[in-house]
Amino acid sequence: MSARDLFPILPVLLVLAVLPFLGLSGSLLNLLIFMMIVALAAQGWNVLGGYGGLASFGHAAFFGTGAYAAAILQTRYGVNAWAALVAGVVLGSLVGAFIGLLTFRSGLKGSYFALITLAFAEVLRIIANSSEITGGGAGIVVPIDYGFENLQLRDRRFFVLLAVICVGVGLVITRWLDRSKFGAYLIAIRENEDAARALGVNVMNVKLGAITLSAALTALAGVLYTQNFLFLDANVAYGPWISIEALFAAIVGGLGTMFGPLIGAVVLLGAGEITKEFSGGIPGFDLLVFGVILIITVAFAPNGLAGISLKSFRRKTRGHTARSSRDGGADA
Amino acid sequence: MTSVKNTLSRRTVLKGAAALGVGALAAPTVLRAQPAAVKIGLLQPMSGFLAGDGQLASIGAKVAVEEVNAAGGIKSLGGAPIELIIGDSQSNAEAGAQATETLNDEGVSIITGGFASGISTTATQAAARYDLPFIVDTAVSDAITGRGLSNTFRFGPSFSIATTIALANLQRLNDAAEDKAKTVALVHEDGLFGSGLAGLMQEKLPDMGFEIVEVISHPTPARDMSNVVLRLRSLNPDLIIPSHYYNEFVLFARTLQQQRVKPKGIYAIFGGAASSYRFVNEYPEAAEGVMDCNHWGMPDHPATAKLMQAVKDEGTFYAYNTPTNYALIHVVAQALEKAGSSDRAALTETLKTQDFDPTVMPYGIVKFDETGQNQNALPLNTQVQNGDIKVIYPEDYAQAEPVFPVN
Repeated sequence: MSARDLFPILPVLLVLAVLPFLGLSGSLLNLLIFMMIVALAAQGWNVLGGYGGLASFGHAAFFGTGAYAAAILQTRYGVNAWAALVAGVVLGSLVGAFIGLLTFRSGLKGSYFALITLAFAEVLRIIANSSEITGGGAGIVVPIDYGFENLQLRDRRFFVLLAVICVGVGLVITRWLDRSKFGAYLIAIRENEDAARALGVNVMNVKLGAITLSAALTALAGVLYTQNFLFLDANVAYGPWISIEALFAAIVGGLGTMFGPLIGAVVLLGAGEITKEFSGGIPGFDLLVFGVILIITVAFAPNGLAGISLKSFRRKTRGHTARSSRDGGADA
Repeated sequence: MTSVKNTLSRRTVLKGAAALGVGALAAPTVLRAQPAAVKIGLLQPMSGFLAGDGQLASIGAKVAVEEVNAAGGIKSLGGAPIELIIGDSQSNAEAGAQATETLNDEGVSIITGGFASGISTTATQAAARYDLPFIVDTAVSDAITGRGLSNTFRFGPSFSIATTIALANLQRLNDAAEDKAKTVALVHEDGLFGSGLAGLMQEKLPDMGFEIVEVISHPTPARDMSNVVLRLRSLNPDLIIPSHYYNEFVLFARTLQQQRVKPKGIYAIFGGAASSYRFVNEYPEAAEGVMDCNHWGMPDHPATAKLMQAVKDEGTFYAYNTPTNYALIHVVAQALEKAGSSDRAALTETLKTQDFDPTVMPYGIVKFDETGQNQNALPLNTQVQNGDIKVIYPEDYAQAEPVFPVN
């Protein structure tokens, strides 16, 4: 991966980073933070589900582990928030590696893999709901103590910035997947696992690497959630909502694309917010719109919103590609 | 024809002119009497699994707003009317924070509500960023007022206040009974609400002279209570103390009825079901005799009948959310009156320093202590008697003698 590969990322990050400083209202800032958190979780999901073809229904397991680790380490053990962030990401990825080890060894794929991950997340939710260390059903409240060293920023514009940086890390990692051997192996496994194995790809290791990386990104989203809302309970951390939002955002945005999860998160949450504004106070109307967007995308744009833009780009340049590939074999 | 038309039109013109004249005369008065409305935010779960609670709360708040405005608005603000702006927390914590942000954007002077502990936690914190005063209605978690947010107040009792009172009333109930209960079974959901209560009971009940024969926990949601109830049937405890959420309680009470388990009493704390007319109406036999210690309005207060009617008109069943939020809006109106300003800081200061007149809730004078907790908040003990919910304790508000033992 060369520096040139990162060029498309920079303008996007720049726009996102400047946005909060344009005098947005508190609710828009809050929405922006939430978009970035969901985008990050979706980026994590995309690594495994989009690039690896292993659709998980249980990314809440990683999100929640990151979130709880950060909260528990700070409140019970007085660990510094930044150290807790690192620990949260490490623990989240360990949970990913553990689940991966168990499921991939038994060769679980497709719906079986999805169900197993869902089961893990649910088991963790039930444990968190009843054990003392997680505060049980009452959850954990992280004491308010604003300050950069505590990763609690009174001025939320800077929290947006922090979240955008994290999303940037996600983008770079996804870009790296596009460009690296590891990414190629992963895509090869998605397309045909047996063929990849026959070509000498260490399927087990690559998959394990993918789920660990995926879990790390999603756990980071969990840590950000804790630091922004300073409150966690079992349904927030391990509840199915985050698994679903991560998956929705990635699918609507575009599976296996760099910008897909970000676009998906922005469009879905943005559309929800806009409808809330215009639905005249009908409760739950935004959720309805959420569902309709998903159905339309899956039906008419199976490659997601990023896929639409990619397609139109290709269509524009088709003449050129067709001519150049006339003597070079089939055009992909 | 033409002349008739003309006559008519002349009359109309005259009428119009007269009306205009009156209007012109009245207009300055109207303008003086109607300064800008004071916006009050009501944060409630209007969608999601708690939507029923949000609806009940908003009914109560709306009735109070109508009353305040009909009585001439906030007099110290030149008769400014109050305007209710409802924020939907969608039954989850982060949407609660987002809705609070939106309410802030809309320029509310104060927010009331919250309902659930998780939502109230994130919402009060979001409001604290703008020094926006927030009075929590029924959320009980001790942590809400315990974390030093100067904008946060709680109208209703906290978990520790309510459990202390609930246990004291249980003691009195049993002492007054001829055929005393000696054995107790605790059935609780395994979240912190249930296990927390169960832990507290296991500690306190033996000192009160009860023998705990069994502690059974179950997850929420639970789909089947047969095993729990069969176990209780074999143990045959005098008293069952359940602590679970509405749906599980309904399931539990119905299973008890089906299996013909008849303890001397069922005594719930924050049971939800035994202080909801929905349960009483839908399963009158299962509900009969069940006692609960929960938020509840004063039964003989004139507003109670009015609120019950308002809830009925909306086609739903009365519960504590309605009187609590009704009373809260009246407290806010008093605060606005006393502060003489819709400024947030002035309101916070007024809430911190002043007392407020009694409302439909059995709290007497409303006074917030230094943590923001209403010191006089009090839960009531209710019992389902002959298909109606009656207050049995404390005596000041009691409508009926407790029936104990029930069976």
